[in-house]
Amino acid sequence: MLYIHQTTCISPQLSFSTIQLDQLQESVNNRLQVIEPAYEGIPNGILRRMGKAIRFGVGAALPIIRGAVASIDGIIIGTANGGMEDCIKFLNQIIDYEEGMLTPTNFVQSTTNAIAAQIGLLSANKAYNTTHVHRGLAFENALLDAVMLLKENTDAHYLVGGVDEISMYNYNIDYLDGWFKKESIDSKDLYQSGTTGSLAGEGAAMFLVNGNSENAKAKVAALHLLHTEDEQLVAKQLTLFLEKHLRSGEKIDVLLSGEDGDSRSLHYYNACENVLDKQATVARFKHMMGEYATASAAALWLACIILKEQSLPGHMIKYGSSSSNVNRILIYNNHKGRQHSFILVEKMK
Amino acid sequence: MGAISAIGSSVTENRMALMQEKCGIGPLEMFVTKYASLLPFGEIKITNNLLREKLRAHEPGLTRTTLLALHACEEAIKDAALTATQLNSFDTALTGASTVGGMCLTDELYHDANKKENGSAYLSSYDCASVNLYLQQRYGINGIVNTINTACSSSANSILYGARLIKSGLAERAIVGGVDSLAKFTINGFNALHILSPDKCTPFDEQRRGLNLGEAAAFLVLEKEEAVAGKKIYAELTGYCNTNDAYHASSLSEEGDGPYLSMKGALAVAGISPADISFINAHGTGTENNDLAESTAMLRLFEKVPLFASTKANTGHTLGAAGAIEAVYSILNLVNQEVYTSLNFKQPIEATRLQPVQSYTKMPLQHVMSNSFGFGGNCASLIFSKTDY
Repeated sequence: MLYIHQTTCISPQLSFSTIQLDQLQESVNNRLQVIEPAYEGIPNGILRRMGKAIRFGVGAALPIIRGAVASIDGIIIGTANGGMEDCIKFLNQIIDYEEGMLTPTNFVQSTTNAIAAQIGLLSANKAYNTTHVHRGLAFENALLDAVMLLKENTDAHYLVGGVDEISMYNYNIDYLDGWFKKESIDSKDLYQSGTTGSLAGEGAAMFLVNGNSENAKAKVAALHLLHTEDEQLVAKQLTLFLEKHLRSGEKIDVLLSGEDGDSRSLHYYNACENVLDKQATVARFKHMMGEYATASAAALWLACIILKEQSLPGHMIKYGSSSSNVNRILIYNNHKGRQHSFILVEKMK
Repeated sequence: MGAISAIGSSVTENRMALMQEKCGIGPLEMFVTKYASLLPFGEIKITNNLLREKLRAHEPGLTRTTLLALHACEEAIKDAALTATQLNSFDTALTGASTVGGMCLTDELYHDANKKENGSAYLSSYDCASVNLYLQQRYGINGIVNTINTACSSSANSILYGARLIKSGLAERAIVGGVDSLAKFTINGFNALHILSPDKCTPFDEQRRGLNLGEAAAFLVLEKEEAVAGKKIYAELTGYCNTNDAYHASSLSEEGDGPYLSMKGALAVAGISPADISFINAHGTGTENNDLAESTAMLRLFEKVPLFASTKANTGHTLGAAGAIEAVYSILNLVNQEVYTSLNFKQPIEATRLQPVQSYTKMPLQHVMSNSFGFGGNCASLIFSKTDY
């Protein structure tokens, strides 16, 4: 499918300037907000005008762009709500000034394609540039886009990323829609809550991908996207997925689960765990990253780290051991109950 | 194919209007905005209630954007005679596009984004994905479903994504397209950039003063050659390319690098040379920037610039729907071997002296190119070719 050669992540955890996943950073006011680095390489004048998602999306991409040995043949971003903070700022102006003469900055920065566009602009990249916005499968479609492009040209390099921010927009709207906890809780108690809703998260995870295995950090061996509210179908699709992509004797070592503390979606995660039938360590990541549409991008970054370190922080473990031979990680993620994905990530030999 | 715009609520109606040089741009009759009396728009004169009745779509939370998409999608699916089995099959994909999504509901969004209680029925309908998630559920689409937003080139990218899903074996057929409805958000945004024309737009004219916003939806059903078996084929998608102008967030470079590269790239994919293009459905928004940049790019690429026209003078700039509806128009050019008048043109741009098609003409056409260039420098070009079926 494709090989990951470089990866970065700006998240609510220590994942960027230094990587210290054992030091769990906890939620504040039911939100897991990113730790923003000092953005080197973005001129202050430009930085000031950027909305949050664009800022940390570009910030996560820059090290990869600067460090890329070969030219980047495309920039593919998945985001459901990127830029929405600026969108609401502009919208509020429309209402408050009764459609009077407004300044366009917020409007131009608020379109979801602004992240990919800004990365293209800053790196003077005229190649393929696109933004997938299919909510809980936005990142997976971005990854699939790269898979298809690499099938046609194995030697090409693509920057693929998933970015979303906690903005007044999605926090308030999703809160009213019941997607976030009504009660005040700490992220470390997320999975024991037994109530509906999760904790809002945000982040940007970027990947430099290519069709060649030499010097790669990890391999994305298979990817599956699914829309359903039938957990039996999810389990059946997972079984088929594993039959198709695991050779005889191979097994999943870690199930990296998108379980998010929302009691309503637990049955999907249970169904997938049952398919694996205690054969794999089950680890969870949303107490670290929070719940948002492109959280699976952060999960993929985590998978790369786990494969490299051959261990995972104790606070992630639901079941099983924190260190043993980790060759194969299956990411199962579910967004708002209906959108599901399986990503099979393999260690380089 | 399926299409609904300010000049018709079906592909046939749209074609008739194009042949008759009908302009769908004028004063607003339904949409409420401070600019209603100041600016012309390509409004579809059908109310949401009428759409809901016609489409039997009474679920709560359906935005106008979703209703328009459903209208065009329904027409396309019927036209392609897709069976229920085919729709539900795991190898049927759906890729849509929108830039506005449910943000057409400015007041509801303002309330839901800012107030702490009494959320509206539209809480899950604001993002662009909500449109395609509704279509996925309504038709029981079980293959890959996606939504793309690359500003004005969104649905062109949606078409090329669906085509590549088929090409790489991830789908047997793909329903592809895009939609956008009028919204205070885009009206005020474009107005703040000073690119809305107070008159009907005049693409490629020296005196052009900007664009008119319009609303529309269009969907096409793409299938592999081997799978088509006996059904009528309108055209073949032979070329496509996506590039980035990488110059500025909301305007194109003077040399039109992005447009030049996307047109050139589409030719390469189609395996044809510039001289093989019979006609171009230009992006032609009527803004000072686009029309000059696009013209410059055409002059760079083509030794002899082919016949070209902009249908945005008929429909307005339909943003997320533009790529798809103009793809439909390009296919109509090919199927009927005709080109339509580029409306409101009087004098060519001084710097380029290029003139678009000025009257409806029947003529032999083999390959038609369709361009879509958007904010963020996102450029896309598609090439449709006549088939002999």
